[in-house]
Amino acid sequence: MNELLKCIDLHKSFGRVDVVKGVSLSFHTGAFSSIMGRSGSGKTTLLHLLSALEAPTSGSIFFEGKEINSLNEDQLALWRREHIGLVFQAFYLIPTLSALENVAFPLYPVKVTPDERRERARARLEQVGLGHRLEHRPSRLSGGEQQRVAIARALINHPTLILADEPTGNLDKKSGEEILEIFSRLNREEGVAVIVVTHDSEVAAVATHSFTMVDGTLEDGKR
Amino acid sequence: MNISYLGSELLHRPRRSLAALLSMTFGVALLLSLQAYSNGYRLAARAPLAEIGADIAAQRQGKVPQAFEGILFPHSTAPIHSDEIDTIRRIAGVEDIGESVFFWDFEKSGFLVVLGLNPASKTGPARLGSAVLQGRFLGTGDHDVAVADATYARSNNLSAGSNVSIAGRPFEVVGLVDTSRIGQVANANLYIMVDDARALAHAAKNVMAVHDFRPTDANIVFIKANQAKVESVAQAVGSVLGSQALVSSAQSFSEVIGEAYGLVDRFSWLVGLAGLLVAVVGLVRAISSTLRERRRDIGVMRAVGWSRGDVSMQLTSEAVSLAAGGSIAGLVLALLVSRVLSLMRVSIPVPWELSPTPHFLPGGAVPMAVTISLSARIDPLPAALTVALSVLCGLAVGLWVSRRAAHIRPAEVLRSE
Repeated sequence: MNELLKCIDLHKSFGRVDVVKGVSLSFHTGAFSSIMGRSGSGKTTLLHLLSALEAPTSGSIFFEGKEINSLNEDQLALWRREHIGLVFQAFYLIPTLSALENVAFPLYPVKVTPDERRERARARLEQVGLGHRLEHRPSRLSGGEQQRVAIARALINHPTLILADEPTGNLDKKSGEEILEIFSRLNREEGVAVIVVTHDSEVAAVATHSFTMVDGTLEDGKR
Repeated sequence: MNISYLGSELLHRPRRSLAALLSMTFGVALLLSLQAYSNGYRLAARAPLAEIGADIAAQRQGKVPQAFEGILFPHSTAPIHSDEIDTIRRIAGVEDIGESVFFWDFEKSGFLVVLGLNPASKTGPARLGSAVLQGRFLGTGDHDVAVADATYARSNNLSAGSNVSIAGRPFEVVGLVDTSRIGQVANANLYIMVDDARALAHAAKNVMAVHDFRPTDANIVFIKANQAKVESVAQAVGSVLGSQALVSSAQSFSEVIGEAYGLVDRFSWLVGLAGLLVAVVGLVRAISSTLRERRRDIGVMRAVGWSRGDVSMQLTSEAVSLAAGGSIAGLVLALLVSRVLSLMRVSIPVPWELSPTPHFLPGGAVPMAVTISLSARIDPLPAALTVALSVLCGLAVGLWVSRRAAHIRPAEVLRSE
């Protein structure tokens, strides 16, 4: 398998607090990986660094062999749009938009016709089992449904990598299992690489590769 | 910019959208309504003279007659000499002049107010030519003929073909006119050719006893001026006629309308712009609160691949839409207000000097006024400018908010919330 994402000696500090301390690791195309760690271990910050939402204090990140640290903010936004799908614990759907519009949201600045945008969003919602909830606003969806909308949104641009931050953290056990099943299916059937950040060992068990973060450093390697 | 997202944001945050819209609506409506009110009074102030096709009436105060016998000039209509009229004609902005000779005639048989006019002139009482009720109006080349005011004719049993006497000289009445059609300025009982009036006045001992009236002079001059220069012309006419000048114009009428109008006229732009400023502050508050509410949404935009330009365009378009929508609603509201204001009737007092009647005669001391509907209209240019200014303010607010939004760090808002 090809190397998809690699980071070398990654550091991140907020003021005098070192949150990520010299992390080096790599992820391969089509892999399903997890980064486990307790609250405050620095795993979410590491995910933000990997998705370029946060700039590292030092160290390098390579995506498909190209260093992304040198890109400016708008270039990084474009990079995320083309290659990365992000899923958050709190879903972060736009409250004023319907499920369909939320899924199409990353396409709004892209030159595609409204019909094509709608069709692509509808297909993604059907893929996550929400074909019957197209026009519902987030406030009228359950937590599990909202997370499925967020996953559909992450998939709208056919990403090569999905980065998920505690995707089951706000869900009941059954909904959580459904979400993990969706990730597994995407990984298995579409070859989308998935990196899940979690504190839950049951979630981490679904991944084929697992890393553990303790106090800002990567402690463990492969499962 | 995405229109459907824009629509959703405006529609699904009704309190914020309404606050911004209403703020802009009332600001724009206040500005335009004040302008309409001010315009209405400005037009009303022009009405007394506009009814006779003039912008300025020039007179000069002179001596009081020694005796009230025969023909005499009221003290407000002393002679204006022909060389002075020529000087006035040459003032920049003067477009036309109507010369008149106004006098009273005290006879044993009764009292007459007579106005001599040039029927070929388009400025001044010659406009009565369009108010003939019977017979015909005066024409070029006429001599010793008169046109009678219909009310005067009725009370004196006159009709076309009757004869009247002015200072003992016979005149044939060739027509009757409705004097009310030219308002309350320079009203008379009989209208005659200006040359006949000059000859009569020059021969009148009670005129010549106190005035140096020459056969080419006039004592009321009506002036049509370039609309942009009316007040400067009025000022120049005053300088020509000297310290005894009595110059009436829209400005002088507006001064007698009332202090309230004066304040509105002077400060309408200022108050209106202050209102618009308050409206823009309302818009800023509404959009700022949006920014606070939507920090997380902006973080999501950046996280899913929107550039800063895309975010800026979206936020700016929201502010511009609210400003544009509010200003158009404000324009509609101002149109409604102006319709209501147009129901008002205003009374414009006409100074005694402009249509003098001896005080000792019945009705002579009764104040006169022209009463008209307030034509409170909204001019298209200020309306377009106001809407454009509002949209510009919306654009400025949108850009300002976008600058603030550019400082939002997605990792921060997507972590903490």
